Amino acid sequence: MTFVLQNIVDAISLGALYALTALGIGLIFGIMRLINFAHGELIMLGAYALFFTFGMHEAIMGLVAMALVIATAIVMERVAFRPLRRANPATLLIASFALAYFLQHLVLLIFGARPKSVTFLHELSGFFVVEGLRIPKLQVVTIAITIVLLVGLVVFFRRSSIGTQMRAAAEDFGMARLVGVRANSVIAIAFLLSGVLAGIISLLYVVQTGTLTPRMGVSLVLVAFVATVIGGMGSLVGAAVGGLVVGVLTVALQAVLTVELRPYRDAFVFAVLIGFLLVRPQGLLRGRSARERI
Amino acid sequence: MLATEDLRVTYGNILALGGVSLRIEEREIVSVIGPNGAGKSSLLNAIAGVVPVASGSIEFEGQAIAGTAPEDLVRRGISLVPEGRHIFGGLTVAENIRIGAVARRDRGAIDGDVDRVLAMFPVLRERLRQPAGKLSGGEQQMLAIGRALLARPRLLLIDEPSLGLAPLVVSEVYRAVADLRAEGVTILIVEQSATRALEAADRTYVLASGSIVMAGGAAELRAEEGFEDAYFGYKARDP
Repeated sequence: MTFVLQNIVDAISLGALYALTALGIGLIFGIMRLINFAHGELIMLGAYALFFTFGMHEAIMGLVAMALVIATAIVMERVAFRPLRRANPATLLIASFALAYFLQHLVLLIFGARPKSVTFLHELSGFFVVEGLRIPKLQVVTIAITIVLLVGLVVFFRRSSIGTQMRAAAEDFGMARLVGVRANSVIAIAFLLSGVLAGIISLLYVVQTGTLTPRMGVSLVLVAFVATVIGGMGSLVGAAVGGLVVGVLTVALQAVLTVELRPYRDAFVFAVLIGFLLVRPQGLLRGRSARERI
Repeated sequence: MLATEDLRVTYGNILALGGVSLRIEEREIVSVIGPNGAGKSSLLNAIAGVVPVASGSIEFEGQAIAGTAPEDLVRRGISLVPEGRHIFGGLTVAENIRIGAVARRDRGAIDGDVDRVLAMFPVLRERLRQPAGKLSGGEQQMLAIGRALLARPRLLLIDEPSLGLAPLVVSEVYRAVADLRAEGVTILIVEQSATRALEAADRTYVLASGSIVMAGGAAELRAEEGFEDAYFGYKARDP
């Protein structure tokens, strides 16, 4: 029983991390049809910002990391993607790869290839012990932050004017402009939000692993991308659900697979996902923006 | 109010509009009719800033507007109800109406305008909380017009409002158009089905293969020899 509960908590917290990453990617895709692979590098930059500011007050470390990630997200849009806005999605995708490599190598140049380690919010590495169940504090915090962010995003999209404008733009960008929605504003805000999400993941990730490499964002963003596809491209709820599903699947396989097979866990994860896409290529929830217009 | 001069629109090598000059005075209802592919939508899209102008000029209230972004043209007083309505299906009916006002600064007057749109199209009132994608074609057309009105346009461009609608619904749409003129809105309608557009408009331009081949009031045009030919596009094939 304890084993099962432990795994459920693991699954939800990993799923939450994936869901937040997938949301960051889904947000930009919904508005721009851009799959921003450089989203992982935003997370990586946040982690290096923590490394760089190590020794300062932890609140300052966190704020600097968040500020850097958000600023980079906004600059990224302004410098790399805005000039390509009329280009086709393939061009945008290639641009995001170029940007990802550029940022990786920039960090490589400054900090070198050797993994760095940094301690951040060490007090979160403890456990809550409930009825013999040892729940890492970090997992509780991760889940709580994810819930707060999800609720916040839902309220933002449903209740605020700019949120409604973003939903409209995600559905039909041309028509949104015709009613007066400013393309530059909604896209800039989408990047700002994706920066906030990436920054928070940076912090959570560093607390969890404490190690950073210039390529640390790559696998996370790949998994998150798969999660958005599973959830249904163009649906934000889908992205969050997809992230959760992939997290749960990963932890479930970790628990079920024999010791010899465990190193190949990710191969099993992706095999299941490929199987899923064969059966349901449109994903769990089909995004409105992916639908054909009549 | 609006004047185009030798307006050309091209898509790659394809010429959609080959030098169109037309004028619309304030408070006029003007229609542009013509067969499928004559360039009617290109004309409206060029005026609304959706497609780039290859050459020629567009003047609105005395100022050149060619090349201005659609979101800025809304702020200048030009709204387009595009072909196919393009309502936001995932937003509620109420959200669709209200999003029409994003360009406005006079926040206080918006509620009153929403009420006026609902008075004009009472069917929308019962469905305010529903996703707009669930509306019928006619309701969507009304919603699209209502959404455009929330921007308080001085010039309203309507592309094929009767397309795919039952005759009774078309009548309701045209009744709304007449009401709008009474409120001081200038209207440019594009239609493939000529009869309604001819009746509703003060003047009509006949467009064929990207050029204006005829212009005038309904009676004048009907009297004119070759009107039927031009309308059905035979003339267009003559070199």
